[in-house]
Amino acid sequence: MGKSPTQVLVVDDEEDLELLVRQKFRRRIRDGDLKFLFAHNGKEALEVLEEHPDVYLVLSDINMPVMDGLTLLSQLADGEQDIQAVIVSAYGDMKNIRTAMNRGAFDFLTKPIDFNDLEATIEKGLKHVQALQSALETRDRLVAVKQELDMARDVQMSLQPKEIPDSETHDIKAVILPAREVGGDLYDFFHIDESRIALVIADVSGKGVPAALFTTVTRALLRVTSSKDYSTPAECLTRVNELLCESNPSCIFITLFFGVLDLRNGELHYSNAGHNPPRLLLADSQVEIVPKTKNIVLGIQPGHTYNNDQIQLKPGDTLFLYTDGITEAENLQDEEFTESRLDEKLTGLAGASAERVATEIVDAVQEFVGDAPQSDDITCVVARFRPGPS
Amino acid sequence: MEDKAKLSVEAEHGDKATVLIVTGRVDGSSVGILESAVQEQINAGNKTLVFDFTDLSYISSAGLRALLIAARLTQKEGGRALFCALAEHIAEIFEISGFNEILDIRTTRTDALGAV
Repeated sequence: MGKSPTQVLVVDDEEDLELLVRQKFRRRIRDGDLKFLFAHNGKEALEVLEEHPDVYLVLSDINMPVMDGLTLLSQLADGEQDIQAVIVSAYGDMKNIRTAMNRGAFDFLTKPIDFNDLEATIEKGLKHVQALQSALETRDRLVAVKQELDMARDVQMSLQPKEIPDSETHDIKAVILPAREVGGDLYDFFHIDESRIALVIADVSGKGVPAALFTTVTRALLRVTSSKDYSTPAECLTRVNELLCESNPSCIFITLFFGVLDLRNGELHYSNAGHNPPRLLLADSQVEIVPKTKNIVLGIQPGHTYNNDQIQLKPGDTLFLYTDGITEAENLQDEEFTESRLDEKLTGLAGASAERVATEIVDAVQEFVGDAPQSDDITCVVARFRPGPS
Repeated sequence: MEDKAKLSVEAEHGDKATVLIVTGRVDGSSVGILESAVQEQINAGNKTLVFDFTDLSYISSAGLRALLIAARLTQKEGGRALFCALAEHIAEIFEISGFNEILDIRTTRTDALGAV
């Protein structure tokens, strides 16, 4: 079976156009290349179109009983189908031709009709219809792809940890403002056991679906390795790195800070795989940098053994983990938010709840950025140790 | 906006190596320029590359990934990639990410060329 013939509707109350078309195109009609439908006024034409939704080209006379050609044009323009119309008018009838063109006619023919002109106009009309159809299909495909990407982002964003309720030993809050594109940042927090909480922040190289998959896999691996036989953060990272390196031909990597806060004594054991060093906001409003660990990013160096580090939190101290979406956020003047603005803002937030610190920092970044487009995810995780009675 | 072309890569061919002078910012939107410059050299059979970063003002994680791929590609061809003349803040990015451990970094271009 070949493809079904392209259909054209011819509307005229007199027989001559129909006869002309049947004769002129008889070979193509016989070959199944073209098929013509006929109606004798605008109303009939609309009925035929309703029955045949796959007709996209109409050839119509203007003067007809019941419904004339110009009214038909207006009806077609209001309809949902994208139907192209060629108007047939008396030679020199510029007024009607102009009206028809203004109402959206694709082209016009004048009577008496010239065979070659008729064929060329129909060919041109069909080409135009095909181009429109394929543009519509492309648009539909793009819409579908975009919907899938949006879904991927929704899935990624839904994989955020359950809130950990505030208590006298800690309060924890994370904020992520995703950039338009799926990808980039990852944060997590969860209980290792009753008295220890894992805090994670990470940033993958690149964006898009590969990056999103990589972060999702990393998060799952980290949760699994730290729930089973947990020993130290570095031990977990060494294992996660090994697994990530196994199949990573495109050299995607992830920078990740993994800290475990002991709620009994305020010890933070951590391993930093190439991520920006977090800040420690002391109760007395000093801001310290959590010392770097000599490590490399995850995913590219199999066999690498990660190192641990440790710091001591005192009651009221707040740990601030972030991604470079904060410090490298740019305003319209191409200036970056920078670490010094971050530290300055943090200083003023000593003693504040984790929620307030997270919200105020992100607000400050947004205020700084203004109307500039957000190019990277903005993410932070804030944990306050022994906030004391509020 | 100051300069639309925020990244340029210029090649200087020597006896033992091709020096790629990288000027400007390497980030997600400009990294393609660096990637194709590297690919072009490798396609031309220049498998020992020295990246001169004297005028590199910024490099994002996407840029670091491109360097890593350049190092792997040159190795695969039996050559190597060296990186030299890192400004202080660029060196810091390499240090935090640990890339100074996995890439061959030299202080000056002369050092780098002397090593090949």
